[in-house]
Amino acid sequence: MATVTRIPPRTRFMPRDPRVEEPYRMTPALALRLGVLGAIVLFVFAVLFFRLWALQVLAGDQYLAAAQDNQLRTVRVEAARGPILDYRGRLLVSNRIGTAAQVWTAYMPRRGRQRMLRRLSAILMVPVPELQKRLREHEGDPLTPVTLKEDLTQEEIFYLKENRRDFPGLELNDIHLRDYRYGSLAPQVLGHVGDVTEKQLNGGRYRHGDTVGQAGLEFSYDRFLRGTAGLAELRVDSLGRPRSKPLRSEQPQPGLALRTTLDAKLQRAAEDALVYGIEVARENDHWAADAGAAIAIDPRTGAIRAIATNPTYDPRVYVGKPDPRELRPLLDPKAAEEENFPGLNRATAGLYPPGSTFKPVTALAAMREHLVGPYEPLPCTGKMEIHGTTFNNWNPYVNEAMALATALAASCDTYFYQLGLDFYGLPPEYGSPLQKWASAFGFGKATGLDLGGEATGLLPTPEWRRKTYTKERYPDTWEVDRLWKSGDSVQLAIGQKDLLVTPLQMARFYALVANGGKLVTPHLVSSVEQPGTNGAVKAVFSPAPKDVNVDPAELNVIKDGLYRATHATYGTSAGVFGSFPVPIAGKTGTAEKSVDADGDGYAEMVDQSWWCGFGPTDKTPELVVCVVIENGGHGSTAAAPAALKIFERHFGREAPVVETGVETD
Amino acid sequence: MADYAASAPPRPRRHPRADTARAVSFVRRLDWVMLAAVAALVGFGLWAIDGITRQDVAGDPDYYVTRQAMFALMGTVGLVGALFVDPSVYRRYRKAVYGLLLGMLLIVMVVGTEVRGSTRWIDLGFFQFQPSEFGKLLLALFLAGLLAERGKRVTESRTTLVAIGAAALPTLFVFFQPDIGTALVYGAILVAALFFAGTRWRDLAVMATVGAVLAAFVLWAGPAMGVEILEPYQRDRLTAFTDPSKNPRGAAYNINQSITAVGSGGLDGRGVTGATQTRLDYLPEHETDFVFAALSEQRGFVGASILLCLYLLLIWRGIRVIATARNPFAATVAGAIVFGLLFQTFVNIGMTIGIAPITGIPLPFVSVGGSAMVTNLLAVGVLQAIAIRRR
Repeated sequence: MATVTRIPPRTRFMPRDPRVEEPYRMTPALALRLGVLGAIVLFVFAVLFFRLWALQVLAGDQYLAAAQDNQLRTVRVEAARGPILDYRGRLLVSNRIGTAAQVWTAYMPRRGRQRMLRRLSAILMVPVPELQKRLREHEGDPLTPVTLKEDLTQEEIFYLKENRRDFPGLELNDIHLRDYRYGSLAPQVLGHVGDVTEKQLNGGRYRHGDTVGQAGLEFSYDRFLRGTAGLAELRVDSLGRPRSKPLRSEQPQPGLALRTTLDAKLQRAAEDALVYGIEVARENDHWAADAGAAIAIDPRTGAIRAIATNPTYDPRVYVGKPDPRELRPLLDPKAAEEENFPGLNRATAGLYPPGSTFKPVTALAAMREHLVGPYEPLPCTGKMEIHGTTFNNWNPYVNEAMALATALAASCDTYFYQLGLDFYGLPPEYGSPLQKWASAFGFGKATGLDLGGEATGLLPTPEWRRKTYTKERYPDTWEVDRLWKSGDSVQLAIGQKDLLVTPLQMARFYALVANGGKLVTPHLVSSVEQPGTNGAVKAVFSPAPKDVNVDPAELNVIKDGLYRATHATYGTSAGVFGSFPVPIAGKTGTAEKSVDADGDGYAEMVDQSWWCGFGPTDKTPELVVCVVIENGGHGSTAAAPAALKIFERHFGREAPVVETGVETD
Repeated sequence: MADYAASAPPRPRRHPRADTARAVSFVRRLDWVMLAAVAALVGFGLWAIDGITRQDVAGDPDYYVTRQAMFALMGTVGLVGALFVDPSVYRRYRKAVYGLLLGMLLIVMVVGTEVRGSTRWIDLGFFQFQPSEFGKLLLALFLAGLLAERGKRVTESRTTLVAIGAAALPTLFVFFQPDIGTALVYGAILVAALFFAGTRWRDLAVMATVGAVLAAFVLWAGPAMGVEILEPYQRDRLTAFTDPSKNPRGAAYNINQSITAVGSGGLDGRGVTGATQTRLDYLPEHETDFVFAALSEQRGFVGASILLCLYLLLIWRGIRVIATARNPFAATVAGAIVFGLLFQTFVNIGMTIGIAPITGIPLPFVSVGGSAMVTNLLAVGVLQAIAIRRR
């Protein structure tokens, strides 16, 4: 039996102390409420835990990627621009490393920003408004530093480095700048690079801050030269301020090299020849001579060996952030006029009446149309009266019968007047054969040069007269001027009056004469290559010549005439080329153009000095040269001696005796 | 010291060893688990703040953590001090407590420093005192006193209305600072006080309904009818968490960056230097309102869970204090404090992980901020004082 011991409950002897408060006991109501609170606590913490689990453990990788994406910004790294080479690989344009002053706007102080800009302006010699403009252009793009000035001088670099603390946000960075090893060589051809323009941006191929070819070959072959920008990743904070150096993630692909057909030495010679030609013209009292163009092309392929224009400029004015004052003659029309348009490429965009250099065109066309036989003599006289108008020969004393070759060599005007008249006399159903042939030889239209910016010239036709001289535009004279008259044909036959050509078109025609009747497409670029590898060719440009239907026999008569022009005693430029050891054939031209040469506000007829020709004539001709000296007088006075200089350079030979200033047509 | 009598009768002579025995009992009756949880929270918080704010003050990576440690020290002194105050004192001087609360808020209104459009602080030179933080504790003490004084009448709706009216005044002061977050905390303290003082369920249900209708009106219906009670930006911040993709650069920017920060922390965190959201300033207010997101990014799910467990421990021990409180007043005070802490913890953490509206509520014991740190430690001191004097 178990003994159950009952513990007696404590008994109270005394009543409760009334001063002692009745202890508070938890009521069922409070217990319930505590239970509710406990449930809430459990629920809340369960929610927090599960949410955290979902975010961090289940979706953690996804948010990690988002966080990394947050702070990495991709920025572009400009590729080095490809070089431009001459035909032998000489560097005409390459890159050099320059130092640019750039600022990260996010790091510039808010207060004192103006003071910093003023100081920078004084150091960099860039006006404050210009700096502010550049900063404004990059507003909202804190990831691209704003370039304040490119190509700093050593002094500027030292000063900025020593006083770095005063310019928070300023960085000195190496950038590629265009380098012109040959100085002012062929700037109108090579062109220049510059900041992308608003218009180019709209095309969609470029982006803000790109450096883009803006003229010349830099422009027309930009897609090869510019290369592919690389990508770099940059760590930034929430305000977009970079916190690390850019890490290359995609290497930029440098631009391809452009191998041109130019010969740097010949180009230099051509430019010098123009200066010489202008000088010679002035010595011979053609004091208004102030400009000119020269072009040398290979008649076999159309490859341009040299293309010069005068006046010219130094392409280095475009390097870095250019000084607006130096650029004014190139950009501001008024300043350009004062400097006689140094930016104009007169060889491709200069329009001149060709004068007598056009006579071979007339001759070829006349033979093709059977208006004259190759050896058929026509009278050459001092003047000629046609329908009541007297047309003078440049040489008033001549009076003999001449065959075509002689007429070309002596540049007999009346001979060609007769041909012009014959063309005029053709029945209407023949159309305008002279113009038709001139057009077949490439006149009146662009040659397709890969440089762009060509002028097409003007090949006047009866239809052109009808369309141009309307009542609305010429209320006083339209009734007469709209008619094609005999004088128009006669003048056209000697390359005068309305006809306008570019030196390039002329050179192309003489190439046709030299190569036996093929119309070449002049071009400046022969291939695009991987730079540095010397020959990993990416693309070749060799436009095929077009056959023009000319009779070789007839062409030989022309060649003969042109040879005699430089060698026969009566030849117009025999005094210049006669003693040159390499046989050269070519034609002078003295074209009258309406120019205000003396600056009195009234235009007068001034002679434009022309010479076009080729050599060697005893072998396959390898060079065609065309030179025009503006207001230079007779063709033999200025243009022919200048052309000779180019041949001398090309063949490496010198003419022992040169007569300059000869007054022949 | 430990005074079990509510009214103070003349003390009987004590046995000479009684003082020692009383001191031993005092120490033994402390809730050491809760104290350990709080100490761990403060320590963990300081460690987290150290990592989070390394980059924030140029040249002084320890700036925030040093200050925060100083405030933790001040708060600890306050905590120990509070142990020796019988909570009944607060009940007796509840009017003074209320006067102090309103007085401080009025002073802020007059001499307060405006920071980012909000006037919450009094500049005391070495630190910016935020009375509304301190007011959380004062409000809990005052409301508990008010309700305890009503005794059995606490179940009357009239009492409830009086309590609401008394709490509304400081709440509105805070609301118009403007500081919506703290105003909400005041509301939570009011609800908790009523709840534990014994307000009837029916009255609580009515309050909940009115509250819900009011919130719906302020946030959705009112603006739709053209009545704007809140500034639009405030409303946007409060509602942005419901659809973070709606305005990712505006009101929802903080939420998105915060969620990204939390998520990117993964299981074990990205460390101090790897936590780019925090280090590169994508995460705004990462030392105060979004400190939990920064912590989660740096320490991952593991770190965040440790913190959550510490809060859970603290609150569990807090519930125990409510259950064993000596009298209704003490239970109400403890209930208001515990629920206040729970509410702040949930809203702050919930806001950083996109399940609660964005309000400027600091994370107790962790967010940088002297006033909050000291107040929270004082509140723990009051809880402990109640625990010592438990049944």
